Amino acid sequence: MPRPEKLAPGQLYNHCDHGQFVFETTAELDGTTEIAGQKRALDAIRFGMGIRHDGFNLFALGPSGTGKQSAVLHSLSGLAPGAPCPDDWCYVYNFEKPRHPRALRLPPGRACELVSDMEHLVEALFSVMPAAFSSEEYQSREKEINESFQERQDTVIEELEEDARKRDIALIRTPGGFAFAPVKKGEVIKPDDFMHLKQEERDRIEAEMVRLKDALQSIMAQIPKLQRERIEKLKELNRDVAGFALKPLVTELRSKYETLPGVLSHLDAIENDTIGNFDQFLEKESSPQELFMGGATSTPGARGRFFVRYRVNVMIDNGHSKGAPVVLEDKPSCQNLVGDIEHTSQMGTLVTDFTLIKPGALHRANGGYLVLDARRLLFEPFAWEALKKAIRTRQIRIESLGQLFSMVSTVSLEPEPIPLQVKVILLGERMLYYLLSTYDPDFAELFKVAADFEDEMERNHDNHLAYARMIGSIAVREKLHHFDRSAVARVVEHGSRLAGDATKLTTHLQGICDLVHEADYHASEAGRNRVTAVDVQAAVEAQVHRATRIQERVREAMMRGTILIDTASERTGQVNGLAVYSLGDRNFGRPSRITARVRMGKGEVIDIEREVEMGGPIHSKGVLILSGFLGARYAPEIPLSLSATLVFEQSYGGVEGDSASSAELYALLSAISGVPIRQWLAVTGSVNQFGEVQAIGGVNEKIEGFFDLCRERGLDGRHGVLIPATNVQNLMLRDDIVRAVEEGMFSVWPVAHIDQGLELLTGVPAGEQAPDGSWPPGSINAMIVDRLGAMAKKQQEFASDHEDEKESKR
Amino acid sequence: MSTGLVRTIAVAIDCSPHSKASLEAAAEMAERLQADLVGIFVEDINLLRIAGLPFAEEIRRYSSSTGKLDEAQLERLLRHQAREARELLQQAADAKTLRHTFRVLRGMVPEKVMSAAPEADILVLGRSGRSPSCRKGLGSTARTALYEGKGTVLLMRPGFTGASGPLLVLYDGSGGSRTALVTALALAGPESTIHLIIVDLDPEAEARCRQEADALTGGTGLAVEYHHLPLADGKQLSRYIRMIDAGLLVLSDRMELPEKTLHDLVDDIDYPVLVVR
Repeated sequence: MPRPEKLAPGQLYNHCDHGQFVFETTAELDGTTEIAGQKRALDAIRFGMGIRHDGFNLFALGPSGTGKQSAVLHSLSGLAPGAPCPDDWCYVYNFEKPRHPRALRLPPGRACELVSDMEHLVEALFSVMPAAFSSEEYQSREKEINESFQERQDTVIEELEEDARKRDIALIRTPGGFAFAPVKKGEVIKPDDFMHLKQEERDRIEAEMVRLKDALQSIMAQIPKLQRERIEKLKELNRDVAGFALKPLVTELRSKYETLPGVLSHLDAIENDTIGNFDQFLEKESSPQELFMGGATSTPGARGRFFVRYRVNVMIDNGHSKGAPVVLEDKPSCQNLVGDIEHTSQMGTLVTDFTLIKPGALHRANGGYLVLDARRLLFEPFAWEALKKAIRTRQIRIESLGQLFSMVSTVSLEPEPIPLQVKVILLGERMLYYLLSTYDPDFAELFKVAADFEDEMERNHDNHLAYARMIGSIAVREKLHHFDRSAVARVVEHGSRLAGDATKLTTHLQGICDLVHEADYHASEAGRNRVTAVDVQAAVEAQVHRATRIQERVREAMMRGTILIDTASERTGQVNGLAVYSLGDRNFGRPSRITARVRMGKGEVIDIEREVEMGGPIHSKGVLILSGFLGARYAPEIPLSLSATLVFEQSYGGVEGDSASSAELYALLSAISGVPIRQWLAVTGSVNQFGEVQAIGGVNEKIEGFFDLCRERGLDGRHGVLIPATNVQNLMLRDDIVRAVEEGMFSVWPVAHIDQGLELLTGVPAGEQAPDGSWPPGSINAMIVDRLGAMAKKQQEFASDHEDEKESKR
Repeated sequence: MSTGLVRTIAVAIDCSPHSKASLEAAAEMAERLQADLVGIFVEDINLLRIAGLPFAEEIRRYSSSTGKLDEAQLERLLRHQAREARELLQQAADAKTLRHTFRVLRGMVPEKVMSAAPEADILVLGRSGRSPSCRKGLGSTARTALYEGKGTVLLMRPGFTGASGPLLVLYDGSGGSRTALVTALALAGPESTIHLIIVDLDPEAEARCRQEADALTGGTGLAVEYHHLPLADGKQLSRYIRMIDAGLLVLSDRMELPEKTLHDLVDDIDYPVLVVR
């Protein structure tokens, strides 16, 4: 296998040629931005927004900062203005069932009109009603009804009185009612005189009195009926008068709202109610305006509350809206989504009415689009369920949470649900999308469209220009200095570095936006009126510097020898592996010493990390692959008679990942062969059972970690790193490394197979395996085979000696 | 009452709506004329007698059931009514800072009311009292006061102001009617309008009466309106008076008009009436 060539400096960093840009600074760009590199997601958004069927709501998934919200809002800004403007909604009093306020739908802008019309109606009633009821006609008709009742009552009593008088009996009013008594010359007979009357006379009087008493009783039994009749007549009169006074006002409103059956039926109900409660408009405690506007919120009196019923609570006024609404609810709590019923304290108790119904984001977005952050939504108690219920039932039903959970036990309302037609767009991370898909059976039904945002995009001229446009628009929007083309090129390169790939650009635009701000700061500090590549570089370095405290402490420990990393000698069974550490959004690499020791054994490779449960499953898998490789390559027909131990020296925090498996293999093979490994080299890459070296992540950070240590100790031209050949395309190394490579002080070798690595690390040729399976003498592989063969033989001898010993003992 | 001076006003109180109106009117007059107020409550002897009869039964007003009338209970109720009447008087008098006395008598109501305050210059009564039917005509006490009384009587009804509002005076040039006019002028409030109704049948009487009346009313500053109604029938008179629609009707029982006409008029009219003697 040919020994790989060192990578040329040009392979370590994919420069962005600023000559490709025709502009001098971003000020020359038109300021428009397009969402670049997200075609798949944009197509999904377009599809999701365009399809009018139920359940085709959208989940925009992708890491935060990839511009999901911007992309969605950008798409909606194109769609929404052309869509029809939705209707107004308001709640009005339900005269039949006051606990269930009615929802009224009106064309855009007409809800507020209805509010002022109702205010005027009530105001007018306060002058019309008293005028009608103080009119002479009304007064005389009322008097007539009362008098005719009185007359009927009086006539029957008078007739009875007359009847009694003829028989010398008087009807006398007692404090509690009436009584009959025999009279003589207008005076009631004294009891003594009565007793002196003849028995027949007494009997006659008594019989008469019984008869009269019965007659009076039957008359009195009629009185309540007469009274009822009188009340009915008065009521009828009142209804006639009130109705007549009200009619012109209501007729005018009716003709104004004749195309709206809901409003007409509400006007009917108001007409009936005002006729029935005409007396409320007669007494004038305070101005009608105060009474009308008062209600539960300010006027404690029952009378003030009464007039609240004629008010209109506008939930949604689209009078000034153009097109469909786009609502971005930042705090998607249950109340903020579906609305709420507020209460007000009155004399120590909580009361409410339909004017205290508050609209939610769903009301505002009805007929349009609602954009929500999935994580925030899921964090709000009950909000997710409330949203699903609203979408599923296609109506907004306001339920007070306090009421639902018996936390507030006062009379509350159940407003009539409002029909809902809305596209909901959730923005969230992929994990949330997949969790919801797995665990929530409703989710797939309700969110049928997924817009999957890419983490990265192709690095080509178009996307370079997209970056430039974005930088330009940020500069305009945030009033920053414009970037010259060299600065744009440097930002593009940094975008590539963030993507961890020389051929890609990150779509994590938040990071780029931050860099633009920071570079602007450095340009201002330097007194420049445009941002140059130097400022971008300063910003990048400052970012790194701010985050390198731990990295420097680790390197210091290595310099002082607290952490043992050898970068100068050659050692058997010891290799410098490279690990990458992740702290927040920053990664850094550092070398780790990996050692291997072998002795005779039963063919096992012991991973000490795994034994003490400090190794993750992927790491363990990598080590087990080594056994597979070792056995199949070097001892296919003899027992593998070694026992090897592998360890990450001075590792106290656990190891995960298989990127060190090639390093472990080199250490192991060195230990078996006894050939020392050059410690001025470091290794990264995973390995498979055939010895092929496979790609790993964080290659840039790993190389930089080893380079920084070597540079501090002094580069001598031997130092270098072995990386998987397939990781070359990921290289976006720091400028100082590229320069060191140019100067021949540092090397990066792409390794495709373990044999190439062995040669580079040991300086001993790996050799080509002959068809019979043998290796050329002197090659490192031959040494390994020999050593393993010798161990197997030794073990066999040891086993037969042991058997003989047992036999002789018997 | 010939001097026109009113020093004492007696008012019969039985807690009925009419008597409350009487009390208000009396208090209002007393305040304006700086007169004393005498409240009269009569415990009806007839009631107590009924309670003594062996078969006496009360038919209760709101249930039409019957129950035995108990004398002791009746006494208690009458005492309670008297107390209530006293309180009403007290309230009315206190509100206007009037000197007042209250008298409780027992006996036949009309006679006792008539004789309770002989010193009173005006006796104020409700047109009807606690009689069984709240009939339109006069109650028994008012009737007695009208037919048999010797002093000036004001028969009040609820819903009207007393002498402080517009006044209607029947005038026929007789001595009685002159007294009535003088009394009306004495009682009238500062804002009152005097509607003088000339009832003399003689067609030329109007000018004469006007002259006489002008002489009486001149200097009082009160507005006077003249109406000539040459009618002799009480009911017709009452109809015309209703059309004028003023307030208190002032007349004398010593006018040229036949007594029946006067009685019919007083019986039929809906307004309060002051009968000057």
